Amino acid sequence: MPLDTSTYALALLRLDGRRWNELRRIHAQISTQAAADGSSYLEMGNTQVICTVTGPAEGRNTGAGRSGGKEGEANLEVEIGFAGFSGVDRKRRGKGDKRTAEMAHTLSTAFSSLILMHLYPHSTISIHINILSQDGSILAACINAATLALVDAGVPMTDYLVACTAASSPTTSTSAGSDDVSDPLLDLNAMEEQELPFLTLATVGGGEKITVLVMETRVRVERIEGMLAVGIEGCKRVKDILDGVVRGFGV
Amino acid sequence: MAPVQAQVLLSPAELSYLHSSLSLNPPIRPDGRSPTQFRPLVAESDILPGANGSARVCFADGTEAIVGVKAEVEKSQWRPTPQKESADVEMDDEQEEEPGVGENSWVEMSIEIPGFRDDDPLPVFLSAMLTEALLASGDLKDRLYINRRFHWKLYVDILLISPPLAYPLPLLSLTTHLALLSARLPALKSERDEDPLFDDDWEASTPIYPRSGRQKPYSAYLDKPPVTLLVMAVGQNIIFDPSKEELAVAEAVMAISCAASQSQTAEAVRLLSIRTIDPPSRLTPPGIPNLLNSATGGVAPVSSTDAMAQREAMSLLGVWTPPRGGIKRNLVGRVLKMVVEKGGVAEEVLEALEKIEVES
Repeated sequence: MPLDTSTYALALLRLDGRRWNELRRIHAQISTQAAADGSSYLEMGNTQVICTVTGPAEGRNTGAGRSGGKEGEANLEVEIGFAGFSGVDRKRRGKGDKRTAEMAHTLSTAFSSLILMHLYPHSTISIHINILSQDGSILAACINAATLALVDAGVPMTDYLVACTAASSPTTSTSAGSDDVSDPLLDLNAMEEQELPFLTLATVGGGEKITVLVMETRVRVERIEGMLAVGIEGCKRVKDILDGVVRGFGV
Repeated sequence: MAPVQAQVLLSPAELSYLHSSLSLNPPIRPDGRSPTQFRPLVAESDILPGANGSARVCFADGTEAIVGVKAEVEKSQWRPTPQKESADVEMDDEQEEEPGVGENSWVEMSIEIPGFRDDDPLPVFLSAMLTEALLASGDLKDRLYINRRFHWKLYVDILLISPPLAYPLPLLSLTTHLALLSARLPALKSERDEDPLFDDDWEASTPIYPRSGRQKPYSAYLDKPPVTLLVMAVGQNIIFDPSKEELAVAEAVMAISCAASQSQTAEAVRLLSIRTIDPPSRLTPPGIPNLLNSATGGVAPVSSTDAMAQREAMSLLGVWTPPRGGIKRNLVGRVLKMVVEKGGVAEEVLEALEKIEVES
């Protein structure tokens, strides 16, 4: 781990100067686009995401038997697009990219449980997310932006869905030589994501109910608890920020 | 995504009304604009930290586009230069100034429109049109030259965020213009044909479209990227930046690309390309005159060919007939004059776009 060990242990400051439990700057706007039913723009540090929501509306495939949506409830479509210029190198991700599809699936299952789908039978709610700039915590940024756009569209939900990332870095305490002590970190950027095991979690309304938990790296099971605790705390703060954005817009 | 409304839902009577109000002198447009007035827009540039240049433009009708320009170093294909073999070292500096070192393949453009595939005709046609203007405007591709072995490859990625409500060409062109205006390349530190090494300091970077040191407002840019304007004609009237409803009654639609001219001659703007666009009005349903409608005492034609023949014979005011035929030559001439002349539309647009704050 050439990145963290050298400097983090000395001052307990991360590469971008944050402490372990600090979020990056979150800046968000809602109603950014007049043509969509709901739209939002979210920055988490250097990660930038734009989200538009269309619907609830009649589905695309009308006439072909099913007019969008299941029997008694609405159908949720999520589409995520990575802009070619979003990464460090210019790369186009096709529509069939598996990681993108998995992110979209995660979002659609998470929001299906939160949106009051039974109010809109035979209709479709579609969420379009464009990732403009990637610098870590992309799934979390997508979830937060989608929440804001759905609020802007006036889609009834039980509560906000807020997300952030948490990681586990090797311990810095001098006394312990054991492996089961670790220092959790909150809200990773792209460089930290490459170095450390991390998880993305989303909670309902900043509470303790976790609806999304995604982890793609390997970590000792003892460390999970610390990461979750930090993540839940982070989600609580993200919720306050997003709530502030929504309330600020209404003024 | 809601289905893309390719066609405006207007009845033949409404189309006829719109057409006749647009053919008055001066024309009355549905949104009250003058013929050369553009729709209001919100524009930002230099919005993305990870791209060399970027811009976002929102039109008042809600269409929104984001353009990111990204440059990557690429190895050039070796090209034999037989004459310069002997005096290679001395010639190097000279070669950098020589026009024509750039190649068309160094600029790549891609357009993403929601609800369309990459290989659908609309994105392909739009990107061809915008690339053509960009390459025709002269020394952009020459500025991507680093040395004989390396060059910059410029990727222009256009993202239409909203569904294409109107014909998105002007929006995409304006956004691309702004993004290129804000685009910067890192300063080169290595010399001649070495492997390129760049300055880490972003402050030292050089804009792709350089400015002269003076702070004079108009001649501040030595060169500017092109803009493509959408122009339509109804009768004798020429209308700029048509909205979706206006396009539905257009008799002719043209896309005109132009750029600021470097030489301080009579014209401030030079023309790069003209393309005619098939007007969507041809697909609108025609109105049926009373004479051919049995419900109003007329005699209905027996077959569709008969209907066509009878309609051809009568010219009725107030009954919508989709326009046919091409563009008259003197109309093209008048359009071009309006665009290119000093104080004309293109100059106005270029000046207005320059006012949008570009961080430097």
